[in-house]
Formats: sequence, C-alpha cells, structure tokens
Amino acid sequence: MTLTAEDTGIVGRGVNDGARLFREWFQELGAAAGAGRPSAYVFVMGSLAELLRTFDLPVVFPEINSLQTAVRRAAHEYLDQAEDYGYSPDICGYVKADVAAQLRGGELPMGRIPKPAIAVYTNACNTYIKWAEIWERMYGIPVFTLDVPGTRAEGTQTWPGDPDFDHDRRYVEAQLRELIPVLERVSGVRFDVDRLREAMGHTNTLVRGWRRVLELNASRPSVFNALTDGTIYLGMANCFRGAAEGAAYFTDLVEEMSYKSARGIGTLTDEAWRLLFVGVPCYPIFRRFSELFTEHGGTFVGSTYLSFASGGASFGHEYDLARPLESLAEGLLIGVRDAMDNMFHQTGPLVRMTDELAADGVVFHPIKSCRTVSTGLADARRALQAARDVPSLFIESDMMDRRVVSEAQLKNRIDAFFEGLASRRAQASAAARPSGRPAA
Amino acid sequence: MSYAAGVDVGSTQTKAVIVDEARRIVARALTSTGANVTRAAEESFAEALRAANLEEEEVEYVVGTGYGRYRVTFGNTQVTEISCHGRGAVQMFPATRTVVDMGGQDTKAIRVSPGGEIQDFCMNDKCAAGTGRFLGAAASALDIPLERLGQRALEGERAVKITTTCTVFAESEVLSWLGRGKKIEDILLGVHQSIAARSAGLARRVGIEQEVTFTGGVAKNVAMVRTLTEALGVPVNVGDDSHFMGALGAALFALDHVLAARTPARTAP
Amino acid sequence: MKTVETFPGWRGLPADALLARCADLLEDDRFPTVARWREAGGTVAGHFQVYFPEEIAHAAGMLPFKVRGAPVEPTQADSRFGSYLCSIVKTSLELALSKRVVLDLFVTHPICDAARNLAAVWGRNFAHPCEILYLPQNANSAHAADWLRGEYDRLRRTVERVAGRPVTGDDLRRSIAVFNRSRALLRELYALKREAPGQVSAAEAYTLVAVAGLMPREEHNALLEAVLPLLRGRPGRREEKVRVVFEGGFCEQPPLDLLRAIGRSCDVVDDDLLIGLRWLTDDVPQGGDPLAALAHAYLERSSYSPVQHDLRKPKEAMLLGRVRAAGAQAAIVAAAKMCEPGLEEQVAYTRALDGAGVPFFVTEFEENMTSFEQLEVQLETFVENLLFE
Repeated sequence: MTLTAEDTGIVGRGVNDGARLFREWFQELGAAAGAGRPSAYVFVMGSLAELLRTFDLPVVFPEINSLQTAVRRAAHEYLDQAEDYGYSPDICGYVKADVAAQLRGGELPMGRIPKPAIAVYTNACNTYIKWAEIWERMYGIPVFTLDVPGTRAEGTQTWPGDPDFDHDRRYVEAQLRELIPVLERVSGVRFDVDRLREAMGHTNTLVRGWRRVLELNASRPSVFNALTDGTIYLGMANCFRGAAEGAAYFTDLVEEMSYKSARGIGTLTDEAWRLLFVGVPCYPIFRRFSELFTEHGGTFVGSTYLSFASGGASFGHEYDLARPLESLAEGLLIGVRDAMDNMFHQTGPLVRMTDELAADGVVFHPIKSCRTVSTGLADARRALQAARDVPSLFIESDMMDRRVVSEAQLKNRIDAFFEGLASRRAQASAAARPSGRPAA
Repeated sequence: MSYAAGVDVGSTQTKAVIVDEARRIVARALTSTGANVTRAAEESFAEALRAANLEEEEVEYVVGTGYGRYRVTFGNTQVTEISCHGRGAVQMFPATRTVVDMGGQDTKAIRVSPGGEIQDFCMNDKCAAGTGRFLGAAASALDIPLERLGQRALEGERAVKITTTCTVFAESEVLSWLGRGKKIEDILLGVHQSIAARSAGLARRVGIEQEVTFTGGVAKNVAMVRTLTEALGVPVNVGDDSHFMGALGAALFALDHVLAARTPARTAP
Repeated sequence: MKTVETFPGWRGLPADALLARCADLLEDDRFPTVARWREAGGTVAGHFQVYFPEEIAHAAGMLPFKVRGAPVEPTQADSRFGSYLCSIVKTSLELALSKRVVLDLFVTHPICDAARNLAAVWGRNFAHPCEILYLPQNANSAHAADWLRGEYDRLRRTVERVAGRPVTGDDLRRSIAVFNRSRALLRELYALKREAPGQVSAAEAYTLVAVAGLMPREEHNALLEAVLPLLRGRPGRREEKVRVVFEGGFCEQPPLDLLRAIGRSCDVVDDDLLIGLRWLTDDVPQGGDPLAALAHAYLERSSYSPVQHDLRKPKEAMLLGRVRAAGAQAAIVAAAKMCEPGLEEQVAYTRALDGAGVPFFVTEFEENMTSFEQLEVQLETFVENLLFE
C-alpha cells in the first residue's frame, strides 16, 4: 500500500509523538533529579496521577524505568547488582532493576531519576507493597498503600448504589482523605480541589480516547499492533494521565486510528492472522518477539496488558467532576478492579476480546518475573478453550531476565503454532468446498 | 514412483526417513548430530538414499525438522518437529489423538486431529526435568548403561519418591538415597515415576484423548512405557520406529508437496 | 453444633504415643478428620494461608479447615499453573482436585501475587463458592477496622448461604470464646517451648499447632488441655542446645523431617510456623459487636508476617523483638522456594540481624523435600561456629 501525503501526516503519528513525549518526560525527570526536587514514586495499576499532579510532584514509574533497562539491553547489569545485594533470582525483575538503580543514585540508561519523597501505590500487585517497603527502609520516606478491594469471585462485581460497592468506595475515599495531608506535608503545596478537578477532566478525555482506540482495532485490517504500538500508547496513558498532554495525545490518536480504519490502512501489508496477547511483553527481545509472529503474517489485535497495565483506563470509566473526591474513589475502585479482573478473573475479558476483535488465535505468555499476571494463565487458557474454539499458544519467558528467554525455543513453538493455524484453515476451507475432503 | 524425505536434526541424533508415494517407509538412517549440524543432516540423508538404493534426484522434496531444521541446507522447506511428531504418530497409529514425545532435552505433549493436524501442544519450558536427560543423569550416578535402565527399574518394588526437579541435582539425590540404603531398582523406579508424572502433567495441559502414542528415543525404555501408562491412566501405543517419528512426519509433509504439485488444490503448511 | 469426634482414640495415651498419633494425622494426606466430619453431615470451609477469621465459619457450624498444601505430587494441579511457582499453591489445589479433601467453601486473601490468583483458579474448577476475603493492606487507615467489619459481615453472609443457617451475634460470641481458649492454650504451648525447650521439641510443638487446622477447635482444645500437663511432666532433656528462632514458615510449611533435622542441633524457642493460627495475640473481647471485635483484633492485637503491611510493624524490627523476647542466640531465616514475599523479606531480615549482631542461617525449603543432609551439614557447621566463638 502506498500512503498519500495526507496519510503520511497522520499515519504513525501516535508512535512518533509518543517517542518524543517519552523523551521529554524523561528529560523533565532528569531535571527534577538535578534540582533535587521531591518526587512521588507510583505504579501503573492505580497511579493516582490526577491527585499527585495537583501537588506539583513529578511522578516516577519504577516499572517503566525497569522495563526500559530490558528494552535497552542493560537489564542484566542491574539484575546482577541487586542479586549481589541479596535479592533472589526468583523474585520480580522490575524490583531488582530498581534496587540497582537506587544503589546507583538513580542512574538509568535513559538518564537519571529523582529520589522518592513519597511512594503511593495500590494493592493491585502485592509486589508493589513489598517494593515500597524497600524504599521505606532505604530512604525513611512515607509510603502509602491505597487499599482497593477487588472482585471477590468472578461475575460478582458490584456497582455504585449497591451497599457492598458503597462500603468499599467509602473505604477508598477515606484513605484518599488521609493521603491528602501527607502529600501537602511532603510537597509543601496546599491541596486545591479545582486543580484536581482539572486533572480529572484530562483523565476523562484520556480514558475515553484509550477505550475508543482499543475498540477501533476490531477494524480489518487492524489499525495498530497491540504488542508493539500498543505498548507505546500504554506508556502515554500512564505517564500523562491527568495531564493536558495526555488528553491531547489520545484525542489525536483516536483521529489517527479512525483515519486508518476508514481507509483500510493496516499495520501489516498482509494480515493473515489476528491474534490476542495475554500477559506481559518479552522486553529483553521486544521487537524480535513481535517479528516471530509478524513473519508469519500474524498481528496482535488485542492484549490484556493494555487493560491491566493502564490501571483499568481501558475500561473508560469517567469521573463526575461535580463531586471530585468521591468520584475519584469510585473511579479508582472501578478502574483498579478492572485491571485486576483482566489478570485474575480473565475468562470474561478473554471471551469478549476473542469475539469482538475476531481473533484467530490467542498467545498466552506467562513470565518468570511476574506471578501476579502469570500464575493463573494456564487455567485461564483451559477456560477459554472450553468457551471458544480458538487455538492458543502457551509460551513462557520473562519480561526482564535474558537468562530465561530462549529465542530458539520460542521460535520453535511459535512456528508450530502457525503450522497448526494454517492446517486448521486449510482443513476448514477444504471442508467448505462441496467435494472437498480434509488434507491428509 | 515418487519419493519424499524428512530429515530430523535433533540435539544428539539426526534421523532421515524416505517414503514412497504410498506413504511407506522405504529407508531410515540415524547418525549422531555432533558439532557440524549441516554435515550430520547431509550424512543421514545420504545414508538413507544408500539404504533405499535411490539417487538424490529421485527424491522430489525434502523437509527439514528438529532444532537444526534451518541447517538442512539441501531441504526444500522446514516444519517444526512438533507438527512432524504429530503427523508421524498418526501415520503409525491412525487413531492417535495425543502424542507424548520424550527426547533428549525436551518432552512434548501434542493433541492432534484425526487428520494429524496439531490442535494444541505443550513442552517443558523451565528445564530438562522430565526428559531423557534426567534419565541419563540417574544412569550415570548409578553407573548403569542407559539401555539397561528400564529393565532394572522394572525390578523395583517400592519406588523411592524423587523430589528434585533439577537434572543437575538428580545425581546427588540418587546418591543420597543409595547412601540411605535404598535398593538401586527402587530408586530407578522412582526416577521413572517422577519423569512419567511430569510428562503426564504436560499431557493434561493439552487434554488427554485416546489413543495416546508415545514417541521419541525414550519410548524404547520399557519402564518408561509402564510408568507413563500408569501416570496417564490409559494405555499407550509404542512402535518400533518411535524415534523416527519426527523424520517420518517431515517426510509425509514433503510428500504432500509432491502430491500437491500434481493436484494444485491441496495445500500443506 | 456438631458433636462428632473426628480424631478419636488419643485419650489416655502417654505423651509420646499421643504425639506420634498427631504426627500421623498431620502427615496423612487423606485428611481423615475432615472426612469423618463430612460423613457426619458437616460442611467444611477451606481457608488458604495465612490468617482467616475461623470464628465466622465456626459460628455457622462449619469446620474451618486450613488449606496449607501437602507433600503430594501436583499431578492434576500442575496443568492449571505455570512454572516458577511455590509448591503450596499447586498442592493445595491438588488436594481438592484429587478429592483427598472435599470443601463446601474456599476462601483466600491475596497474601501474595501467586495466591491472589487462587480464588479465580479454584472458582473455575469447583462448583462450590470460591472467593477472596480482603483483609486491609492499609492497616494504618483510621477507616480500616470499620471497613474490615463490613467485609467480615459479607463473609458472614456467604457462610450463611453455604451452611444454610443464620449466624447470630450470640453464635459469633460463642465461637469467639472457643477460639479464645484455643489461643490461650497455644500461648501456653509456646511458653513451654520457650522456657523449657527440653520438654517439647520444635517438631512436636509444631505438630500440636498444625492439627488445630484439621479438627473442630473444641476437640483440639481438649487435646491441648490433656497434652500440656503430660509434656511438663516428661523427663526433660538436660543437654544444652543453641536457642534459635525459625522464621519463614508463615505460609508453605516445611516437612516435619526438616524441623526434626533442625531439632538435632538447635532448640527452636520461637517461630512463625502457621502464624495465621496464632495471629491474634490476645483474647478477643466477647461483649459488644463480635465482628467489630474480630476486625479490631486483626489490626491491633496481632502478630506480623511478610504478607501484611503495617507501618507500625516493620518486619525486621518485629523479628529482632521475637529473637530478644525468646532469649534466642541466633535465627534461622528460611523461605519456601519461589516464595516471593519470603525471599524479599530475607534481605531485610538478614541485614537487620547483621546490624544487631545476631548470628543467622539462611536457607530455602520446599514442602515436598525429602533429603535434608545438605541442610543438616550446613546447620551443624553454623552451630559449631556459634559454640566455638
């Protein structure tokens, strides 16, 4: 396909703008580190960025810093250093890369990050809590667990107005009210509810756009690769949550994806297979991993990662700006719960994505480093197989640790998966022919 | 008469099979892989040609499979050994729905359709626990030739529970049981049971459907056949050509190409 | 309330024979006490490690059963999980899939990243309710106790549905009394272990605690009431051993043989083995709102573990306190293989112990392990070094 002049102005804009914004974001963190400014350490599943921004606290995402060491092929140096410090090879690689970064005074391949003045995190991942305890010990800083009760059993989610939901919402709101004075103390800035309202408004635009972008990938051909392009968009959804840049970025992204969808501009020239990705990407060989699929004409049209790692932003719940704190609590409860549901109570989301995105196959990628995401994947796969006749592939590697990423092993399984998809399609088309008989 | 060949380059052995258009095996060859993978592939193919009394030109299509499949430089295309093992097993035992393949460094469970297409598969990811190499480690710790291992294990009565999952530590666990006065046969039976349990676990991941065919070099081990049967709870097929199954499957895929060239409607992966 | 005796035949036995029977029960992976309870028509609430308010299930007449894995091969469970996992999450599911134990309800709290997947995995594999009980991870919020009270009330409603009967305030208060008695007896057992370690070995004390999770608590109370005097009256051992604290048994349990191996060179004077059964450190008030009292006790009168976050309880300071209170000379800092919180805490623990000049021995274990030579050699060397200093 040849792109027109108009196409070239808009197609690929999200990826290019994302790369630029990401560089700028890191430069700002570097400047904050240089100036010794206090920063807030947060995580992608429930970052509370809307609230933290109102206190002028630069937000640092240690998960993103850590994965960047893997993408830039420096992770092993960081992992080795943390293991020498005493951390086991069997724990989360993100934690270890961060421990090493802290031991290096915040030095990372992308630049320097400021020290934490506070850590704010949810219970969406237990390692968040253990991780914050490390900073608490290292720096003696306040750490704040925002406890967000999730779904108790698949299919039992409650909604505003239900007494059980309201009980949980009051708990979250009470914690937010307890957090505010801590943030005032750490930042020296007074809480301003109007600034919060403004930040929440930006988040509303962002989540609305994010949800629409994900929906637009039902287009055929699909308009973005959920594993590669999607990860860039995801980074923007996290780093610029609650910011005007984030709102503008996603407004533009919806425009780009709608444009591509309307004109049939896909990510692959020949989209042979539409795939879903379940798990965390293989960052040590990020591009290569995707190529192992695109070489066969396979592209990822959906990914659970884009849901849970955006803290449930993909769910698209919008705040009611008329009652900011109550609504922030409500939104956190719904968003973080949805993030958790996309990891634990996965059957529903997987069946829905398989149907809505018309997936030909599903790739489960459990990893050594992250038990939150990986523990239940084999069982979720069984459930999906029982619910839908869709082939799936189960491959294990890691998001950080090259020692457990065997490209040859991955390729072998991926090739076999496509051989299976191809023979299945051949069989189906043979069966569809009146005189056809299955290929032997 | 047309011929097609499959060459399966494994981590320790390279196998070649030639089939005629009636899908009959006309020759098989086995060589050790060694350091030069391409040469091993050439040698085994040459040996199979000699055994079949054929010239290279008479074999119309060659498919490479196994870890060294991309080094089968004279081959026309490559297919993974996962697809090939499934295909080969169905050829040998047409009612096969589940294949358990136990090789030198990996074990795979494959669920196949009646036509031999791969429905689902699963392999040991983490390490070599539950593979032939685990057996090799135990054999060397007990100083018993690998080919006699199965027979000795069947003499065991009270299997020792082997708990290590690490092939490297298997040796020391075996020795520690010896030190505690356990009989060699009981230890060996325990080793086989432990591997069988892991392989059965893989098979459960893909769903065990009858019939089950057991392939790979380890299928020659009688104790492994028995313990695997017990662990799966269903009987298993074992053929004389169990470790040629990958090469056979590759040869059959090659034959598809030969036949498809005559009737263009047929496609193969 | 059911009156079935699930563990008959121990009355009148001398201490050693009684302890041997308890050890047999603990290592019996067919769970005969639970089977007897069910045969008599009782229902069973399985609760995964670490802490669970057993009183709430008990008040509905259910048997609270501690789900804590077992040294069994996870033949069926393996295909439901990925690699790189601790043993207990797999073997716990195996016990239920293989019907070694049959439950009517399964409850789990997200103690760690692996375990937080369990409610969903179990829920897909069993017809009975499998759900998460959230315990506050922000123990420092002024609202936590009030919220936990509500969460306990939600659990009460689930339990009522499963047991098919209402649970009243009086039911709960009666159950609290039973468990207060249990807690007092367990404290006595630990005091004996601390003050006269020659009277009860680590493995014996552990056995007596662990069987509490397998039988009606009334029955267990009677057992402890009988056995404690027997232990005190035993001919004591004279030789001095190194007094140690064992840390790392809050979730997956080491096999009895591992505790016996440790016992050959050390006296374990305190530990965190099955800490969930001993989580509440004091009596729960029997007056007033029972659910509020249980919630308050969870937050305010409780032990510590790597899987509960409470700013008032820095884990390493708590461990140093445990070492000092027990008069221990050293600590064994263990972690179950692949146990992320345990392995993470090892770093903080060992640094703190180092700083305080307390010698420590670091190790990993697995519930399925059968070979202890390597560990014993290292531990003996560690003890020899202590004695020669």
